[in-house]
Amino acid sequence: MLWKRQIPILIATVIGLLTLFGWFIDNPGIESFVNDDATQWFDILASFAIFLGALNLMKLQGKKVLKQHSGWQYSLFAIGGFIFAIVAGFIYKGNDAVSWGFHVTSKGTLFKWMFDFIFTPLSATMFALLAFFVASASYRAFRVRNLEATLLLVSGIIIMVGRVPLGSSISSWFIMYLLVLVGSIAANIKLQDKIITFGVLLGGVVIVTIWGSLAGWPVDQPSIFYLPMLQDWIYNNPNVAGARAIMIGIGLGIFATSIRYILGVEKSYIGE
Amino acid sequence: MIIGAWISVFLTLAILSYLYKDNLFYKVAEHVFVGISTGYWTSMFFWTQIQPNLFGRLWPATEYDASSLWYKFYNVFGVFSSVFPEGGIAKGHDMHLIYLVPFALGIMMLLSVSSKLSWMARWGIAYTVGMAAGLRAYGFLNSNVIGQIKGSAFQLVNSNLPYFALVGESIFNNFVILIGTITGLMYFYFSREHTGNFGRLTKVGIYFLMISFGASFGFAVMGRISLLIGRFVDLIHYSSSAYNHATLWILLIMVVLLGYSAFMDKSAPIEPPVK
Amino acid sequence: MMKYIIELILSIGKVDRRWIFLVIGLAVLLPLFFPLGLPIRATNATQRVYDAVEELEPNSKVLVSFEYGPSTKPEIHPMAIAILRHLFTNSQKVYVTCLWPDGQFMAEDALTEIAEEEYGLTYGEDYVLLGFRPGNEAVVKGLVSNIRKLYTTDARGTLVDQIPMMANVNKVKDFDFIFSASAGYPGTIEWVQYAADPTGVPMSTGTTSIQVNDVMPYVQSGQVKGILAGMPGAAEYEALIGSPGIGTSGMDAQSIAHLVIVLFIVFGNITYFIETQRAKKY
Repeated sequence: MLWKRQIPILIATVIGLLTLFGWFIDNPGIESFVNDDATQWFDILASFAIFLGALNLMKLQGKKVLKQHSGWQYSLFAIGGFIFAIVAGFIYKGNDAVSWGFHVTSKGTLFKWMFDFIFTPLSATMFALLAFFVASASYRAFRVRNLEATLLLVSGIIIMVGRVPLGSSISSWFIMYLLVLVGSIAANIKLQDKIITFGVLLGGVVIVTIWGSLAGWPVDQPSIFYLPMLQDWIYNNPNVAGARAIMIGIGLGIFATSIRYILGVEKSYIGE
Repeated sequence: MIIGAWISVFLTLAILSYLYKDNLFYKVAEHVFVGISTGYWTSMFFWTQIQPNLFGRLWPATEYDASSLWYKFYNVFGVFSSVFPEGGIAKGHDMHLIYLVPFALGIMMLLSVSSKLSWMARWGIAYTVGMAAGLRAYGFLNSNVIGQIKGSAFQLVNSNLPYFALVGESIFNNFVILIGTITGLMYFYFSREHTGNFGRLTKVGIYFLMISFGASFGFAVMGRISLLIGRFVDLIHYSSSAYNHATLWILLIMVVLLGYSAFMDKSAPIEPPVK
Repeated sequence: MMKYIIELILSIGKVDRRWIFLVIGLAVLLPLFFPLGLPIRATNATQRVYDAVEELEPNSKVLVSFEYGPSTKPEIHPMAIAILRHLFTNSQKVYVTCLWPDGQFMAEDALTEIAEEEYGLTYGEDYVLLGFRPGNEAVVKGLVSNIRKLYTTDARGTLVDQIPMMANVNKVKDFDFIFSASAGYPGTIEWVQYAADPTGVPMSTGTTSIQVNDVMPYVQSGQVKGILAGMPGAAEYEALIGSPGIGTSGMDAQSIAHLVIVLFIVFGNITYFIETQRAKKY
């Protein structure tokens, strides 16, 4: 029990306190440990964690094949892919001009070939699939149920259209007419009076038309209705405010959680 | 090169075929991806971290001494000459035997594959957690909290700035950012009920947060569509005659096979329930 | 008539999602074959990056860092190439590092295409590929204190002391400008926190669209001079330097796809609205 519980918590506490106070202590030995060695050890252990993950994965896939669970044939492909990558990484270089170690970042090797023609298409396409699911979600799930959802969708739409070349081709007068239309629909829903609705619509159209003809229909004036400008303002101001609030919140949260780990209050990493 | 192009096109189309329905091609590509990426990252991390930084510090070439016991060990491993080359590992490090500690923790982590010894990983994980907690606590407090608060502060009365400008700095814009940041932070304070005046301020806060999320959504869509464009550009490139029209042939074969399997599924008789 | 239209709208609202996939697929594919040539107008953030690079004196030392991989290549590679073109046109000296291992592959592709083939420059005198070093922010910190401790050789195995353009370049403060083409961690934020802020060297960045909001507070406060946001940002930069590339050719597809998604959102909400009105009635 000592080995399984007390010692890990002790390790976390000691190392945590050392690295935290290492920022403030002037001792050169501790400083060099915190600045250089501590991060190196962290990266080394992270690498071993990757190896552990790989071993576990192969153990699972191997079990599936040996016990012939459903879909075991696909596991053969997983194991085959892993073996091919290991061969390219450790056994067959494919380019004798390059030394071991450099071969993972040099051209002309089997590893680079695997990276270009197998790993890259697979990982890029997996990400690209999300484009389709985003489109499907936009259609079937994003509903304007309340003011918050409306703000989210409207700012999303303005950013999406304003950021691409299409947005700069849409005249601000078009947006103004659109707003008049939306305003009259809203008036219709709220007041349920055909005369008022029609009045709002007609009045809005007349005002915009007169204003536009006087101004000469410039594409980007009045700039508050020109999508790229509006998008820029939203992007630089309320958006930054929200992003900043989230950043500060996350920073405080990380600080609090780190202190909990160091003090041994949080023990989830050993499974409790 | 051409074989590579055909394999690349097959894998791309196999993943995209998931959009029609979960099928054999997708499952094959998915499992290949799992295997290859595991192997890829294993090789990558070994050659860029473990071999130069760990082994390179335990058995550096600069202190190679064939007669010492420590290097005799090394020469035993030298049978794997790719990892342990003649004369020590030359990566510009000096010997730091203290690195035996992460080596031991790492081996303990690997041993935890066996279910009896699975507790061994906890030591390595505890070290990682402790270290990350110590380093990140200071780093995040400094840059994310203090740095951001510093950035939000501004001169209320600054004659250089215009009162309102759509693009660029202005007093109104700075004010908007300040109000938005403060009310947004207020929203995250859950130790007090959001009622009354406090509730009104947190409502303003959540409006700012929603605008921010909407902008993030817009950017997320933008990013995903860009990735899709990248894939399509590659597929179009591989459909040219230099690659023997790889895209067109593989697309045709997949459509025929998937269409056939869909037809067979539809016309298969419904099995009677087991009595 | 009205009733018929409403019924039609409701039935389209319940359509199988695979039709939606097909529509978005075509919306992206067709403009790649039939480009529309919509004019590209640079936003403020992109303009700031361009101005920051344009202001540099010729023969300035510029550190360009590649931290992206193949999954984000369509977004970031065009902007890396555009930045390299701009820097080489203005006769700047370019030093390339990579915080991601796959970033080195991307850097080699970009440098071969632009520096070697297009501009015919000399390796070691006009540009150098220092390469990838593991360690994430420790690499950035190492560059700030002593480059030669981290890089004894460049990516091709040549000793750094023997490279002509590395003379008198010992730490980040010796550079005149930093540009980070980044897709995540480690990336722009690490460069700002550990290099640009402490040393005061001006820096700019290009990131994926998803990361933009994380970096925006730094851009807004002036710690980062402008930002190239995703593929549209790359296309805007290409328009500013006057050499359209991969970014520009994707823009039409991007525009149409965005328009289609906006129409989906609007249409979906019209359907939802009609359904709630009906539910209220009955």
